[in-house]
Amino acid sequence: MALINRRNLLKTGASVAGLAAASSVIGTPLIAQQRSLRVGSYGGYFENSFIEHVFPAFTEATGITIESVTQPNSADWLVTMQQATAAGAVPTDLSLYARDTLIRASRMGGLIRPLDMSGIPNASNMDSYFVFEADEGVLGVGAMSWFSSMVVNTDEVAAPESWAEFWDSDLYEASLGISRQFNSHFLDIVAATFFDGAETLDSEEGILAVIEKASEIRPNVALWWSAESQMEQSLKNGDVIGGQYYLDVTMLMAADGYPVGAVFPREGNPQDYGSWCLSALSDKTEEAAEFINFTSDPVNQALMSRMIGTAPLVPVGSTDLSEEEFAAVSGTPAIRPAYEAYLDRGTFIQENWDRMLAGL
Amino acid sequence: MSVAEQIPAAPAAAASAATQAEATPPRPTPRGAGQVPRAAPDTDTARRPWPRLLDRGGKAVLWALVLALCVTPILLVMAISLGQSVEGSAWEWSLTLRNYQRFFVGSNWPADPTFLYLNQLYWSLRYATIASVLAVATALPFTYLMTRLSRAAQACWLVFILASLALSEVFIVMGWDILLSNNSGLPRLFLVTGLTDWLKETGWFDVLREWGLANPRNVRFKTSELATVLTMSYLVWPYAVILLYPALSRLDPALSEAARTMGAGSWTVARTVILPAVRLPLIGSTFLLFVFLLGTYVAVTVFADPSRQTTAISIYDHVRGANLDAPFGAAQAVILLVTATLFLTLGHFLTRRGSEGRA
Repeated sequence: MALINRRNLLKTGASVAGLAAASSVIGTPLIAQQRSLRVGSYGGYFENSFIEHVFPAFTEATGITIESVTQPNSADWLVTMQQATAAGAVPTDLSLYARDTLIRASRMGGLIRPLDMSGIPNASNMDSYFVFEADEGVLGVGAMSWFSSMVVNTDEVAAPESWAEFWDSDLYEASLGISRQFNSHFLDIVAATFFDGAETLDSEEGILAVIEKASEIRPNVALWWSAESQMEQSLKNGDVIGGQYYLDVTMLMAADGYPVGAVFPREGNPQDYGSWCLSALSDKTEEAAEFINFTSDPVNQALMSRMIGTAPLVPVGSTDLSEEEFAAVSGTPAIRPAYEAYLDRGTFIQENWDRMLAGL
Repeated sequence: MSVAEQIPAAPAAAASAATQAEATPPRPTPRGAGQVPRAAPDTDTARRPWPRLLDRGGKAVLWALVLALCVTPILLVMAISLGQSVEGSAWEWSLTLRNYQRFFVGSNWPADPTFLYLNQLYWSLRYATIASVLAVATALPFTYLMTRLSRAAQACWLVFILASLALSEVFIVMGWDILLSNNSGLPRLFLVTGLTDWLKETGWFDVLREWGLANPRNVRFKTSELATVLTMSYLVWPYAVILLYPALSRLDPALSEAARTMGAGSWTVARTVILPAVRLPLIGSTFLLFVFLLGTYVAVTVFADPSRQTTAISIYDHVRGANLDAPFGAAQAVILLVTATLFLTLGHFLTRRGSEGRA
């Protein structure tokens, strides 16, 4: 009885599988004509802007359809991709990695496929800093960049000329919002303002000196924020009257009528950027090259600046951005973060940063 | 001699016995192998093979579920806690106790020891203790008064409290965040009612500034320990009511009334009749809420200054943060688990001693 049942089951199963196979055969020619690419981007407003403005323009230009994949951020996404690669099936072809994550991925090895640069002539528009090359080849080409900027409440204080003014307790006692994560570039700001910049963070003595200087700002910090929304609320509510926040969101808040302004002080603001990286398991080398070539085009860099609020990675002169449009997404000087230090001495910096925050 | 002891013993003992009987209803005899007389299984199996097989299958499924859902994750966390992170890359499996050592003395021991992580554990324990005691202490009079209401009113309150459990931690924290914000909350009230100016005139404002509860412009309640503990006890308050309700609703009103007729004031009645009667549920609820609060995340990230943040935050920072140091995060999780187990054992010991004392 059971045997018969099982045989019946097998027969049914076989016919279902046959049907599925038949339907996939019928469907195949259609799919084959349609070239496609799965592209990861940070969710929410950012991803929506991509889906609305960038992907359609690309499909129109090349005929390749894009399937958008939501990434939470880059560090978490690397863990997901690492596990997916080990399992043999990845959720996306192209991922968006910040530079530190990209370096980490290249050190881990086996996660990123080198790009075919002959298909990406537009990459030559960019500073070579934004084209990340490892031993096996080019692993990432810059997609867009963003600034972590000095912000102030324009009703309460005048725009500071230097980051050093934030250390003045007469003006800013218990009034600032600074990012709580050790690698979210406040150390780079301190290094650029009071020391020799990124190279100071190359030694343990330098790191300790920078952290000690950072600790002097603690009485002025009302909020060490870990989620973007915390700082946004605090700026809107007047819980803080200044601090460190993303340039694009600050500009959006100012456009909504809140009394906040982004400032480029003497030392500048830290600039971070995301790179397109192809998964090691993806066979869409050609499509990926076409997509990256598309986004590296100054015309499309300008499109992203206007629609998403990111800073262009190509010289502003090569784009058609007006001075005003450029000032809304970028500025000078840019502070380049000490990515290698954060990676090579991650535990040391994190523990000493946490001790500083804890006052221990 | 307390009032409770003056009351004739018989009704109290009867009430206690009734409580016991209610608490432990007669158990239906399980149909497991051990419970049935030896001769029975064969005939039983011969006559009814299916229920017995199902029973065995059910048990196997149950065990598999317990293994898969409870034991395996914990074992996995323990195994990861013995791994080691590779600077600037991922982490790898290993058999090292360095992560545990780091928890107690820091990663740079012995050159530069630090008690950073022990300090975080201290704040975990401190918040959880204060918030759970506060929640139970305030829920007790509320629940007691609630049990004196009519059945319908009690049902309304219970439904309301159960419904409030549907609010997520994020939502509650958001609400309190707005309540305590400068432009939309309590500080605004201080400003428009002139309370801020009055504080400035009387000099209290400078005291608040020293305590970190004011900036040069106005009072501020975040970040502060006050806001953290208040939000945490608010989070578990409905649980406290629900945990105390059965014991308090079973409390015989005759006991309090008897005490009152003998001249005891309401405070004396509360102290010598009600409190001793619900001592065990009180201790039990406090410990349960304490353990529940050990892992609070959102309230602490939003309302606590980084110098007063907890092990739960540090675990997340290490597992998901930029360093991807899952082994150290796992080691901290194991230590938090051990701490919770220790306190639960202590709670169990206390309640058992309490119940033995009562018997």
